[in-house]
Amino acid sequence: MNEKKILIIDDDQHLQLGLSARLRARGYRVTCAADAISAITVARKELPDLIILDLGLPAGDGFLVLERMRELADLVAIPVIVLSARDPADNKKRALDGGAVAFFQKPPDNHEFLAAIRHALGETVALTTFLKT
Amino acid sequence: MSSEASGRAEAPAYSPPATPVLPPCDSTPLHEKGNMEVSPALRADLLDFKAWSEILTTYGRTMRVAVALTDSEGQLLGNCHNPQPVWQLLHNAAGGRDPGCPFCISTHSPCTAIADAFETGGAVMVRDQVGLTHVSVPLLLGKLRFGAIVAGQVFDRYPEPLVLRRVAKDLGVSTERLWELAREQHPVSSAILQASGDLLCALGNAFLRQRYSAILEAKLAETNGRFRLLVEGVVDHALFTMDSNGCVTSWNGGAERLLGYVEAAIMGQNFSCIFTREDIQNRVPEKQLHEAQMAGRADDEGWRVRGDRKQFWANVNIAALEADPGISRGFAIIVHDVTERKKIASVLEEARQEREGLQEKLLSHVSHELRTPLTAIYIFTTNLLDGVYGDLTSFQHEHLTLALDNVKQLKSMVSDLLDITRVETHKLTVEPQHLSLAKLIDDVLSTCLTNAAVKNVTLRSDIAPGLPFTWADPARVRQVLINLIDNGIKFASQNGSVTVASLPYVENEGFLCLSVSDTGCGISSENREMVFDRLSQVRSTSEASRSGLGLGLFISRELVTLHGGRIWVESELGKGSIFYFTLPVFSLAKLCARILTAPNLEAGCVTLIAVDVAQVEGAVQSDILLEVGKVLERCIRPEQDVLLPSMSDAEPVKTFFIIACTDAKGFEVIASRMARELRKFDSASKLKPVISSTTLPLAPGQFGEERIGDVAARVDQLVQAHLLGKERLQ
Repeated sequence: MNEKKILIIDDDQHLQLGLSARLRARGYRVTCAADAISAITVARKELPDLIILDLGLPAGDGFLVLERMRELADLVAIPVIVLSARDPADNKKRALDGGAVAFFQKPPDNHEFLAAIRHALGETVALTTFLKT
Repeated sequence: MSSEASGRAEAPAYSPPATPVLPPCDSTPLHEKGNMEVSPALRADLLDFKAWSEILTTYGRTMRVAVALTDSEGQLLGNCHNPQPVWQLLHNAAGGRDPGCPFCISTHSPCTAIADAFETGGAVMVRDQVGLTHVSVPLLLGKLRFGAIVAGQVFDRYPEPLVLRRVAKDLGVSTERLWELAREQHPVSSAILQASGDLLCALGNAFLRQRYSAILEAKLAETNGRFRLLVEGVVDHALFTMDSNGCVTSWNGGAERLLGYVEAAIMGQNFSCIFTREDIQNRVPEKQLHEAQMAGRADDEGWRVRGDRKQFWANVNIAALEADPGISRGFAIIVHDVTERKKIASVLEEARQEREGLQEKLLSHVSHELRTPLTAIYIFTTNLLDGVYGDLTSFQHEHLTLALDNVKQLKSMVSDLLDITRVETHKLTVEPQHLSLAKLIDDVLSTCLTNAAVKNVTLRSDIAPGLPFTWADPARVRQVLINLIDNGIKFASQNGSVTVASLPYVENEGFLCLSVSDTGCGISSENREMVFDRLSQVRSTSEASRSGLGLGLFISRELVTLHGGRIWVESELGKGSIFYFTLPVFSLAKLCARILTAPNLEAGCVTLIAVDVAQVEGAVQSDILLEVGKVLERCIRPEQDVLLPSMSDAEPVKTFFIIACTDAKGFEVIASRMARELRKFDSASKLKPVISSTTLPLAPGQFGEERIGDVAARVDQLVQAHLLGKERLQ
């Protein structure tokens, strides 16, 4: 059983519900936050192994969260995957430049998304293995 | 001449002089030599009786002969000059005379003097049966016959009684009266008349010529005057002419009003004074004159400067004036103030941009808002399907799969919607990279497999081995292929097939062609033109196969066009359709065109550096690749003229090509720094970059502008060889 901790920062309760169910089924521990301010608080308290971050958030957007995380020593090393409904043409480069390790537009392809999570958590598994599962 | 033998006047015995008094003039203008059409008006003007009157009267008085002007038919024009009494008598008496030579009394045979004169081109003297002598000279311009001058007297000596009586009888006057009249005349001998005929010929033709020139001059002056009036009358356009250096040679009222210089001040000045300071610095005036000189004309729209330094937006046409091909006579220029139009256009453009911006905002908002619920549905559906909430019955699984298919369809429609907005705002872009199609097509076919299985359609691929790399955006090519294949599946009959094939594109070797063919219902010829239009889904016979927004082919066309390719369809009703599209073949020449310039090639050698990044296990590499890009950028300073392919692609780029133009020493510096930096980077990651380089052996000065293509082609060869070598290894 994997005991890695993932923090989902998204204001969509349904997404939180669905995605956390999927991740828990995969053996991760999942916590959620719904706005930019509580996101930082929860992250500092929980110190997750990975953060899944939405860009459109109440009380400041995802870029602000990324920026704050880069300033906080305890959060700076946590990998962030951005998952947003926003147009990648405008946002992908900015997110990656801001320190995110990957960008996915909603809805993401499950296989690719989970592969990215594993990769970010250092659980390198050959791409072909993912596609077969 | 032995008139005494017969005792009466002899038949004409005149022969023209051996050398004409007025030799044919070589300086005769061209239009006079040929069969120029002369208008009746010009003809009448040339032979204007009043104009000729003075010269003819003077001649008649000097030579003591009667002189008359006729047209080319021998019709008398005006009165006879210096008429002799007998001449008057004849003409008064002969009311019903036939038209013809005005000097002939004898009406028994027509006088041929004028016709003969035209024939010989010189003076012809005639003495008729009653002893009357006259000389006829032709008036010619080149070959054109205009008229004749006839000069002579009625008797060249005192008439014999017999002749006198016969003439008196013919004319119906008494012999005494005729004698009285004849006595008053002072006969001129035939010999003198004959000699003076040549003089008259020269005189007459010289005068005709002079008159012709005078008329032409008058006409030219009139035309010039009219033209000047026209030019001056144009008040809202500046019209002016310049010599071949651009110095003003004429300036109309419109130019004075529009450009604010009076004619006296601007004449001889260079027209560059109406250009802006920047344009003058950039040598725009000279360039425009050069263009006009080369192409015959130059058109431009841009800011120009008035005499009071105020700027206006001008529409300018410059036309080269050429007398003969290649011989410049300067330029004519028309300047029109279109500042108002420009203002309106910019207001319209702003409005359009605002509308587009709003539309884009709206659609991207809609797309964003649709994606959020779509994501929830997608996650819950896949969670259920993957057994996150427990096992499903096969019936539940089957129906949930249908739900998932619909979600995917909705997702692609939302993407299409956003693409459409981008097309309209010209923001749809492609990010080409070197791309292996074989792998991509395999990938796409496996994606489409589910859809095909539902309709029991077979997917085939017929890709030639060793297909060259293309220069294309993988995500976008994927999108086009999926659109075409899904389209094929949609319209294919049950148990039919859809085939993706590659074929050479003979029309342009720089492109390769892919085709997607189906065994569907086909497209009628009238619908074939429309399939690529927006929202143009052709009504299908089976309503069930209709789905989607009908934007797929429209977006596909836009994407193919953005790649520089083209897309078309061949189809036959009932037999299926074949969609073709072309993509540019990968060519580093295209990529490196920016630095392969003549000065760079002159400066040193061209170096091709290939950096192979060993494949990293896992799906996401873009972040690592981005890092490599940053390292490379750090190593290579912009002043060293290098080219770096884009590093921001989502798809993993495993080989970077760097073209550097530098001398051998400079290259060593780049290579060693790059190796050092990449080693540093290498130790921190799992990345294993390999740097290889090839220097094109170019001696400085070896390549001129025309050889750049050669260098590019050579670079291309090297890259292809490199990529193929790698493929083989894999």
